[in-house]
Amino acid sequence: MYSVELRGVRKRYPGGGSDPVVALDDVDFAVEPGEFVAVVGPSGSGKSTLLNVLGLLDDPTGGRRLLSGTDVTSLSVAERTAARKDSIGFVFQDFHLLPTLTAVENVTLPTAFDPDDASDRAASLLERFGLGDRLDHEPAELSGGQKQRVAIARSLINEPAVLLADEPTGNLDTETGEAILAEFERVKREGVAVVAVTHDPLVERFADRVVELTDGVLVGGEAASASGDATDDAGTAGRSLHTAGGDEPPERERSPGDGEPLRDLFGGSGGDPGPAAGGSGRGTDGPEGGGEGR
Amino acid sequence: MTLVAWRQSVAMAARNLRRNRVRTVLAVLGVAIGVFAVATLGVFGNVLALGADDAIGDIGTQVVISPNADAGVESLSAADVAAIRRAVGEPAVVPLYADGAIVAGPTDQQFATVYGVERPGAAFSAADGSLPERHRDGAIVGAGIAEDLDVGVGDRLEVAGAQTRVVAVLAESRTFSPVAPDDAVFLPESAFAADGYTQVLIVSGSGTEARAAADAVRESVNAREDRVDVFELAAVVDEINEFFDLLGTFLLGLGGISLVVAGVSILNVMLMSTVERRQEIGVMRAVGVTRRDVLRVLLAEAGLIGALGAIIGTAATVAVVAGLVVSTPAVDTAIALDPTNGYYLLLALGFGVGVGLVSGAYPAWKAANERPVEALRS
Repeated sequence: MYSVELRGVRKRYPGGGSDPVVALDDVDFAVEPGEFVAVVGPSGSGKSTLLNVLGLLDDPTGGRRLLSGTDVTSLSVAERTAARKDSIGFVFQDFHLLPTLTAVENVTLPTAFDPDDASDRAASLLERFGLGDRLDHEPAELSGGQKQRVAIARSLINEPAVLLADEPTGNLDTETGEAILAEFERVKREGVAVVAVTHDPLVERFADRVVELTDGVLVGGEAASASGDATDDAGTAGRSLHTAGGDEPPERERSPGDGEPLRDLFGGSGGDPGPAAGGSGRGTDGPEGGGEGR
Repeated sequence: MTLVAWRQSVAMAARNLRRNRVRTVLAVLGVAIGVFAVATLGVFGNVLALGADDAIGDIGTQVVISPNADAGVESLSAADVAAIRRAVGEPAVVPLYADGAIVAGPTDQQFATVYGVERPGAAFSAADGSLPERHRDGAIVGAGIAEDLDVGVGDRLEVAGAQTRVVAVLAESRTFSPVAPDDAVFLPESAFAADGYTQVLIVSGSGTEARAAADAVRESVNAREDRVDVFELAAVVDEINEFFDLLGTFLLGLGGISLVVAGVSILNVMLMSTVERRQEIGVMRAVGVTRRDVLRVLLAEAGLIGALGAIIGTAATVAVVAGLVVSTPAVDTAIALDPTNGYYLLLALGFGVGVGLVSGAYPAWKAANERPVEALRS
């Protein structure tokens, strides 16, 4: 079962003129638990829309959306909020921490109005990210990398199925960016699917798979498409991928070459976001989507 | 549990308010002034009304019944008096003979109203000497006459040429009474040879009781024909009270205007603050905070501004009223401490908090319902 899955998803915005703007055009996309996928593409290609649709911040105009196998295509506002809280973690380029709250309080923000106090869990998460001595600091007292770690901790407070990151390294220097990406690797090894929208080649290096979005068309969106169309096969492939990714030492200085064979496992669609990825990713999606949607 | 959610919301709201202290203080000041205006004007109006009531309230407690000359009734018979007694029940009924006569003291003389009364104690009280249970002998003199003629208890007095002795001097009447006892002399009924009483005085404890008595007399004694005229001032007192009610409402309205202005300032502050924090609210919504909780935090902010302003305004009112009582002898402390003033304080306090919540409602609703996608984009 995929952590998150889009089937034939379209997203149109009413444009200024007569033609609506097509932000996503028949996108098939699926991420395994424990997989780190980077979404690249030029500005305006629909990356943010993809992330918003994946993160239940926006609804698709057409197609289906599944979260851990459950259809979440059209939910009410309250249901979407609850689903975001339960299953999705967000990491933003600008960190988006609340300036009035301490690190621990920022981490517990999703559960702030719940009866249970999540402060202990937040503190242990922060300690895991090396911020054990910054628990009661406000964001203004933290460096960019520390802020982003707090944001990652916040995204994990509810043990989500998916972590969605929008340019997570965009406001960080290379060294800090690498450190943050290493944290993502740790996150994914706990079975969390990580999707990062990025311009940063560094992110591509750390990702298990890179998909490219151009003018709303996604290339390489299907992780298991090459492994056959039966659900079981897809699941096995996913698991093997997960294990492979998990066994890998979390070295920061991992070279792009190390990642390459991994990607090859998935039909070679991930590699360089170039013409090589052509149309290979998509063809088989239609029928499979129909057969698999629970 | 909502209690936890409210506590969290208020805590978060308090921190948000501390972020922009100047703006918060100004908004609180606005509410404080509004609440101060409502509370002071309300209390002032009330003190005015209470003071007036204290001064003129007794006017309405007496009813004078006199024969209706137009209907050919020249005097009130014992039967009439009995009928009046039956009609009014509780209040004292004092039948009076009345005439005018020259009253002479040792050195001076003047024209005065002379009443014949059997039980003066029911309607009057003595400043000097004592009022007999049954008035059989001697004269009871009003305070004004006693002063003018310079007579006291035991002194000789000549009323319409007949010699008598002063047995009591009445206390100066503190209120307006249609009988005008200050300038009257009260003799025993036996001094009058008339067949019937000239008038009947009904003395009751309150204006309401007097009005009820007057109505009862009109209904029973005047049932078949208008035998008697009923003269009462309770209606006048009602008019006066109505005026003070109007004045109080008017003053409250004036104060209310400033409270509305305060409300607009809260609206402004909350709108500005939610626009500035648009992204933050979007983040909260994105990470799974419900619309209701966002609404709660923002309402708590507005409510805190309102409550803080209301408390300051109310405290200032208490201080100003206390200062007024201390500095102005004319204002009776008892009136200032009257419980009804507390009602105006509570009213203003409630209005302050209410204004905060009402003005905060729209910005809070707007911010809570914004789509997180839009809010995060900026």
